Amino acid sequence: MSPDRLSTTFAALADPTRRAILARLASGETSVMKLAEPFEMSLPAVSRHLKVLEHAGLIARGREAQWRPCRLKATPLKGIADWVEHYRRFWEESFDRLDDYLKELQRKEKPHGRKK
Amino acid sequence: MAAKNSSADEAAGEAFLITRIFDAPRDLLWKVWTQGEHLGKWFSPKGFKILAAKMDFRVGGIYHYGLETPDGKPMWGKWEFREIAAPERIVLIQCFSDEKGGITRHPMAPDWPQFTLSTMTFIAQGNKTKFTLTWVPYKATEVERKTFDAGRAGMETGWGGTMEQLLAYLAKLQS
Repeated sequence: MSPDRLSTTFAALADPTRRAILARLASGETSVMKLAEPFEMSLPAVSRHLKVLEHAGLIARGREAQWRPCRLKATPLKGIADWVEHYRRFWEESFDRLDDYLKELQRKEKPHGRKK
Repeated sequence: MAAKNSSADEAAGEAFLITRIFDAPRDLLWKVWTQGEHLGKWFSPKGFKILAAKMDFRVGGIYHYGLETPDGKPMWGKWEFREIAAPERIVLIQCFSDEKGGITRHPMAPDWPQFTLSTMTFIAQGNKTKFTLTWVPYKATEVERKTFDAGRAGMETGWGGTMEQLLAYLAKLQS
């Protein structure tokens, strides 16, 4: 994924409502009306969030005039998931390595394995 | 999980927070975090090669490090030390860099904050040490702060379970 694409995806995900909308869509496609139900906001406000998500390529909307179903698009999310996973792993795996290293150092400091 | 930024600047958002208890006395943990020859032995994820670990540990000094990812890409970064209170606390500014130490942007996310501020604390708990790292954007633009916030939320909670659902969804699509 290109850096610009990743930035657009990040900007779209920066809002908690939009993250909640995506979470909802993960269980299947649905209409704007249905999507708006759990949120205390107007339909136009929800539509604005959907436009941002659509622009970021995170969702697609059907052409059926009546209910225009929204569904998730996977590709940009995969890029973000990989990116987040990279950071999480960076720290977790570094710390695992540090654990081993500390053990090694402490063995060297006490070559006879005796405690005071 | 998330801690409020202690500064009055609410706009800087919440900090990314990591805590870990290490089975080592504080003095030893301090040593392995602050001496280049030690940092160069462990500061990298599995499968990464450590290319360089050059340490100048003093206020205003720099730790310049280079890693190579498992697929062979180099990755350079710098820490500039702002506060050192041995053996309890280190405050540093972090950025990506090139091999010569020139400041660069995040290679994959140009809107990621150019500078971040990390505070590391070391609390002695008998023969163990509680290590805490808090991470906030530093002198960031609004776009950078929002990008950091999206990343932070993802790192800490997987966006409140969203990530797990999405990964399950992706798996379903690919099956």
